[in-house]
Amino acid sequence: MAALCKVVSRFRCGVRLTSSRVILHSFSSDSSGGSGSDQSAANRPRSGFAAAFDLQSELQREAESAAASSSDSSSVKEEDFASLLRRSPLIQMGPAKDKVVVGTIFHVVKDDLYIDFGGKFHCVCQRPPDGEKLRRGSRVRLRLQDLELTARFLGANTDTTLLEAQGSLLGPLEAKEGRENQNKDSAGRRADPAAVKPEVL
Amino acid sequence: MAARALTKGLLGLRHSRAVTVGYSSVGHQYTTAASTESPQQPARDVTEEILNRSLEKPDFFRVSEFFSLKDLFNARVHLGHKKGCRHRLMEPYLYGCRLDHDIIDLDQTVEHLQLALNFTAHVAYRGGIILFVSRRRQFCHLVESTAKDCGEYAHTRYWQGGLLTNGPVQYGPGVRLPDLIIFLSTLNNVFQQHVGIRDAAKMNIPTVGVVDSNCNPSLVTYPVPGNDDTPAAMELYCRLFKMTIKRAKDKRKQMELLYSLSAPSTPSS
Repeated sequence: MAALCKVVSRFRCGVRLTSSRVILHSFSSDSSGGSGSDQSAANRPRSGFAAAFDLQSELQREAESAAASSSDSSSVKEEDFASLLRRSPLIQMGPAKDKVVVGTIFHVVKDDLYIDFGGKFHCVCQRPPDGEKLRRGSRVRLRLQDLELTARFLGANTDTTLLEAQGSLLGPLEAKEGRENQNKDSAGRRADPAAVKPEVL
Repeated sequence: MAARALTKGLLGLRHSRAVTVGYSSVGHQYTTAASTESPQQPARDVTEEILNRSLEKPDFFRVSEFFSLKDLFNARVHLGHKKGCRHRLMEPYLYGCRLDHDIIDLDQTVEHLQLALNFTAHVAYRGGIILFVSRRRQFCHLVESTAKDCGEYAHTRYWQGGLLTNGPVQYGPGVRLPDLIIFLSTLNNVFQQHVGIRDAAKMNIPTVGVVDSNCNPSLVTYPVPGNDDTPAAMELYCRLFKMTIKRAKDKRKQMELLYSLSAPSTPSS
C-alpha cells in the first residue's frame, strides 16, 4: 500500500516531462522509492530526477547570487585550496621526468648557475660553453629530471635529501614572436617575479 | 548571544564605574597619609586598562588581513618534501601526497599562521623580547635583517649548548631571556631538531615554528605547517612577522597616548 502511494506521487512529479521520459523516470524512482520504504515520507532522500533538479536549481541560485554580489568577493570565495592546487602548473605537469620548463637564474657562482623554475627547490647547472650571456635574472629553458634529490641509505630511518632539484640546461629562452604569443596567455603570472611557476613548453 | 553581549556591555560599564569609584576611594583613603602612591596607582591602572583592552577581541590586531590563502599558495608554502623524508607527526598537517611529494594542507596552515601571528602581536604589544632563530645559511641574512627592521633579535649562528639553560652563568646574573622564540626553520644543518626548541620548552619560553614535512612539530607551541626551503616562502614569513610586530608596537604606542591623554581627565577627587 505504501509502495503504491509512493508510485503515485512519483508519477505526479514525473508528469512535468514529456510522455516518453515519464515512464523511464517513474521506473527509476520506483526502484529507489522501494528501497527507501523504511523511511518516513518527509525524510525520504530524493533521488533520480528530483535530486538532480534540486542540485541544479541550487547551483543556479548560487551563481545568480554570486553574479549579483561584487566580482572580487565571489572570485576569492570560489578559489579554495583544492581547486588552486588542481589547477596549478606543478600538478598539471605530472611527473617531472623529462619535462621542459622555463626557469630564472637567481645566483651565479663562477660556472655554477642556480636556477629557480617554480618548484620547491632550485636546480644547479654548469654553464654551457656558449653561455656567456647567462647571468643573474636571465631566463633559461631546462629539462627536469627530479624535483628533489633524495635517497634512502642503509640503516637510515628517513631519506637523505640534497635540498636541490636536478635538471639539464637546454639553453636561454629566446624571445621570438611565437614565444610572445605563448607569453600573452600567462602575462599576469609572468609580471609577478615572486610567483615563478613552471611553464611547461 | 544577545544576552552575552548585554552582560559584556554591563561588565564594561561596571568596570569603568569601578575604576572611577576606585579613583575616588583611593583619593579618600590616602588623604591623611603621604600621597606618594596615588600618582603611581592611576599609571598602573592605565597599563592594566591597555593590556585588558587588547584581550577583548579575538583578533585585536587584525592579523588575518595580512595574508590570504592565495598569497601562501603563490609563495609555494604548500610544497613539502618527498614521501620518504616525511615525519610521522606531520601527517595530520598534510593534504596528501602527489607523485611522492607531500602537499601541506593550506587550510590548516592559514589557521595556524593566524594563531601564531596573533600570539606574536600580543607578545610584542606587551614589550616582550622576540628572538628569531634559523639555521639555514641561505636565509641567514634575511632573518637577521628582518629582526633588525622590527627592533627585535635574531640568532642564526651556531647555538651554544647553554644559551638558554645556562644563561645566567654564560651572560651574567639577571640576564633577561627571550619571551618568544620564532623558528623560521626548526632543523639545524644536519637535519636534526634545533636544540633551541627543546631548551625553550625547558625554560617555559613559548615558541612559534615553521614546520616542514620532515620536522617534528611536537614541542613547538604554535607550529605553522609550511615550506621552509623556498626563498619565496621564507620572504613571506619574514614579511608577515615583521608587519605583525611593527603593527603591535605601533598599536601599543597609540593606546598609551590615548590613555595617557584621557587619564588626567578622569576625576580623582
